[in-house]
Amino acid sequence: MSQKKAHATQNLVVYIVLTIAALAFIAPLAWMFSTSLKPLQETMSLPPRWIPTEIQWKNYPEAIEEMKYFWRYTGNTLLVCVLSVFGTVSSSALVAYGFSRIEWRGRDQVFVVLLATMMIPFPVTMVPVYGLFKELGWIGTFKPLWAPAFFAGAFNVFLLRQFFLALPKDISEAARIDGCSEIGIFLRIILPLCKPALLVVALFQFLFSWNDFLGPLIFLTEQRDFTLALGLQSFQSQQGGTAWHHLMAASTLVLLPVLLLFFLTQKSFIEGISTSGGKN
Amino acid sequence: MSCAPRINQLSNNELFWLRFCFSIFILLIPLLVGCGSDSHAERERQGRVVLKYWDKWNGFEAEAMRGVVEDFNKSQDRIWVDFNSVSQIDRRLMLATAGGVPPDIAGVWGYSVPVYAENNALMPLDELAREKGIRAGDYIPAYWTLCNHVGHLWGLPSTPTTIALVYNKKLFREAGLDPDRPPQTIAELEEYNAKLTRRGADGRIERIGFLPEEPGWWNALWGYWWGADLVDGSKITARAPENTAAYEWLQTYPDRFGADKLVSFRDGFGNFASPQNPFFTGRVAMVLQGVWIFNFIKNYAPSDFEWGVAPFPSSGSGARDAVTLAECDMLVIPSGAKHPREAFEFIAYVNSQPVMERLCRGQLKFSPLAVCSDEFLDSHPHPHIREFLALAKSPNAKGYPRTAIWTSYEADMRNAVSRIWGGSATAGEALDDVQARQQKNLDRRIERWKRMEPALQKLWSKQ
Amino acid sequence: MTKEERRNIRTGLAFISPWIIGFFAFCVYPLVSSVYFSLCDYSVLSSAVFIGMHNYTDLAADEVFWTALGNTFFFCAAAIPLGLVVALALAILLNFDIRGRGIYRTIFFLPSLVPMVCLAVLWQWLLNGEVGLVNNLLNPLLGFMNNLFGTQWVAPNWLAEARWAKWGLIFTVIWGVGNAVVIFLAGLQDVPRHLYESAEIDGAGFWHKTLHITLPILSPVIYFNLVMGLIGSFQVFAVPYVLTGGGDGPQRSLLFLATYLYQNAFDFWNMGYACAIGVVLFVIILACTLLLRAFAEKHIYYAGK
Repeated sequence: MSQKKAHATQNLVVYIVLTIAALAFIAPLAWMFSTSLKPLQETMSLPPRWIPTEIQWKNYPEAIEEMKYFWRYTGNTLLVCVLSVFGTVSSSALVAYGFSRIEWRGRDQVFVVLLATMMIPFPVTMVPVYGLFKELGWIGTFKPLWAPAFFAGAFNVFLLRQFFLALPKDISEAARIDGCSEIGIFLRIILPLCKPALLVVALFQFLFSWNDFLGPLIFLTEQRDFTLALGLQSFQSQQGGTAWHHLMAASTLVLLPVLLLFFLTQKSFIEGISTSGGKN
Repeated sequence: MSCAPRINQLSNNELFWLRFCFSIFILLIPLLVGCGSDSHAERERQGRVVLKYWDKWNGFEAEAMRGVVEDFNKSQDRIWVDFNSVSQIDRRLMLATAGGVPPDIAGVWGYSVPVYAENNALMPLDELAREKGIRAGDYIPAYWTLCNHVGHLWGLPSTPTTIALVYNKKLFREAGLDPDRPPQTIAELEEYNAKLTRRGADGRIERIGFLPEEPGWWNALWGYWWGADLVDGSKITARAPENTAAYEWLQTYPDRFGADKLVSFRDGFGNFASPQNPFFTGRVAMVLQGVWIFNFIKNYAPSDFEWGVAPFPSSGSGARDAVTLAECDMLVIPSGAKHPREAFEFIAYVNSQPVMERLCRGQLKFSPLAVCSDEFLDSHPHPHIREFLALAKSPNAKGYPRTAIWTSYEADMRNAVSRIWGGSATAGEALDDVQARQQKNLDRRIERWKRMEPALQKLWSKQ
Repeated sequence: MTKEERRNIRTGLAFISPWIIGFFAFCVYPLVSSVYFSLCDYSVLSSAVFIGMHNYTDLAADEVFWTALGNTFFFCAAAIPLGLVVALALAILLNFDIRGRGIYRTIFFLPSLVPMVCLAVLWQWLLNGEVGLVNNLLNPLLGFMNNLFGTQWVAPNWLAEARWAKWGLIFTVIWGVGNAVVIFLAGLQDVPRHLYESAEIDGAGFWHKTLHITLPILSPVIYFNLVMGLIGSFQVFAVPYVLTGGGDGPQRSLLFLATYLYQNAFDFWNMGYACAIGVVLFVIILACTLLLRAFAEKHIYYAGK
């Protein structure tokens, strides 16, 4: 009997702690949304109010207008994201296949080198890469933001390789015996089995490109070419101070597509993250 | 060993939504990216040389320049200037020039000229200016100095500024001070400060007479009003006695008011460009501000706002009359720009007297030209334009230190002020650190310049 | 080598060719160039001039560099363990048999999706000393504790005070641990139940079970998160950059190695110096990762062994 009671109190404690933590985690987002609907004077009011006295939906169109190129930023960001996703998925799948479904000498050693490249921080390569893109004449265009995706980032290759390794070897063997070319096996047999994993890679890349800030900061020069992340930061640094209600409204808008995407593909997102931290 | 990833197959529902979203994304892109292009303007531009012009302004200052650009575009049919408002222009211009895609004309701050010039980021304008007959005598001396560096002309002014003590007359009256007799020395400034400051019951500051940190845009230059210079040839003089005296004055603020109280007070300040600006709401009675303040007073201050302007008082052994920072926005042509002659045509246009007066009236500033029409001053909406103009002509009007290390020097000075205000260093200690670092920095920069100068001078004399 | 082996190598290399090109273009070339530029005086618009180790000696004598280094180390030493502990704690709690686990998990995970710029803009607002939410929740609590203990605690102006700015930043990082929570939760659900059951029969309590069963089995996952956290935290740039509006915080308390690198490259026209900072950053990350690996060899428990 006492074990059951201990169990119940344990569960109660867990619920309480989790609820407090959950409130702490959700409060900033709720506050952001609440501020985005306040009139300017109320944003600085003390004590702070959760529910604005008047709900100003017009903050949103106002913020969009003040940001000037909001819709262009959205288009630019979508362009970069879609191209990056396409590039990442195709190149990572190819490379991961090469590291997992074909036995060749030196394969695992080269893979260790790939893993090692994950340690190279972007700031180290930033200046020479900038120089490289300058020679190519790509500064001021979107190419530096999506072209590298076509060359398979280490993390995505790692993720997909895990998945490929888990598929049974005999399906490849059987296809090889039937005379199928390696690329044929890749396209017709392995790839169709991996749609969920590819989706995860696509989602991660989309998220990364949507959020990317340092890349756009140094590679884009014209204001109208900015991505949403850079546009938002530019909006923040525009005037001598900050119009918090507009800034929060703009932030909410930048966040919205990501949330939407998450809720549509929740299961895959969560499972993708779960496996990425899997056995190393 | 369970190494099989547990990713289930996609449900049909998920797949459908994904395909739907993806298609929407793809369809949206051309629509969104195409937004904002002006087809009417496209037609007009045909046959003309199109120049990209980046400037730092937005709001009404940008509007004034846009008017000038429109007039220029209408006045001839060979050149079309495309005005762009760019934030953080120093950095963006540098990135664009380094990246090989600079704009054709850029409106930078005067203090950037030395570092851009020495790093080969600008085109020398001597030849072009000579052809158009533009000479030193055309300008107020303080501004002509800003345009030149290492023996060449690098830009021409667009709009000038000086800074002065701007004060709230109503608050003066309330505190029993004569609103037409502003403080003439720093000692008097502090007397007035004490009389104007109000505190709440718990010691919180409700109103302060003067707060160096509001707006605090020239924290590196307080030494000017103590007769100090920050650089003397190849020597950094941050730690010279005059400069140190200025920062010791700064140090008295956290000592007198309490560092944390000052921080709390400032955290509650509203947006500068809004009715909640602390100067307009009476939370700060006197500020060191520039000629543009009238723009903001006009748009945001209460209708009964009464204000006065006077030279910011100076102090100590270096005290002089009418000390001010005279700076200007500068129109330059980045190196690598493709149409320098056309770009200079626009710059010269802006510098012609009627156009310059029009631009400066639009931005509610005075004109940097040596000669300005009486009509300009008489009909100028700015109630204190003559005070600001007189300061520009003062022999003690100085620009920022003309050195290529200014960005780094200023960053260090700002950090020193931050330390003094936070109470973690005395003025002497903070300035010692700045002195040591920046002297080394300057030495390195002079080495670099010695190495690069011959080749660069040869290159420039050809242009 | 047999013909088949040769053919396999060719096919293998063909498949990984995109990566090989990327490897040389974005890893080898930049690293080598960075090292070369770090030995030069390189002011963006003129060519690089070799000056030997000058940049490194300047770096060693540069107190701002040491400030940045100190800030970076402090940040990593505080944020990584704290983040891991919070993530682990939340994951363990979520692992109890409770209803609504999905909702809680979503709530914890959402903040990690927020774009960094939004996050920084939001927290800049939340951490405002006067009108920010954090202080307005903290002050009543502190007031209550002051009454209880007779202390004089006051909530600091987070981003305006040198002593507290980094803690404000650490809050924003901890807010984003949702990623790690999900990974840990997945790992926890892999722990065989029978181990817990046999421990319970032997009379083990919650803490004993956690320390002697859960943690060892989770150690590979913890290690993974640790390494990822290390690599990420050492290059922290975007969030403090936006939090300070493009600056480096009060008395440079939010100046990190990546920030100083960016400043030198793009504000001070000192690209050679910036590359030297980059090389130092890389060496530090490499050293820490190798140290961690050596430590891990001895202490991590792999299910297969």
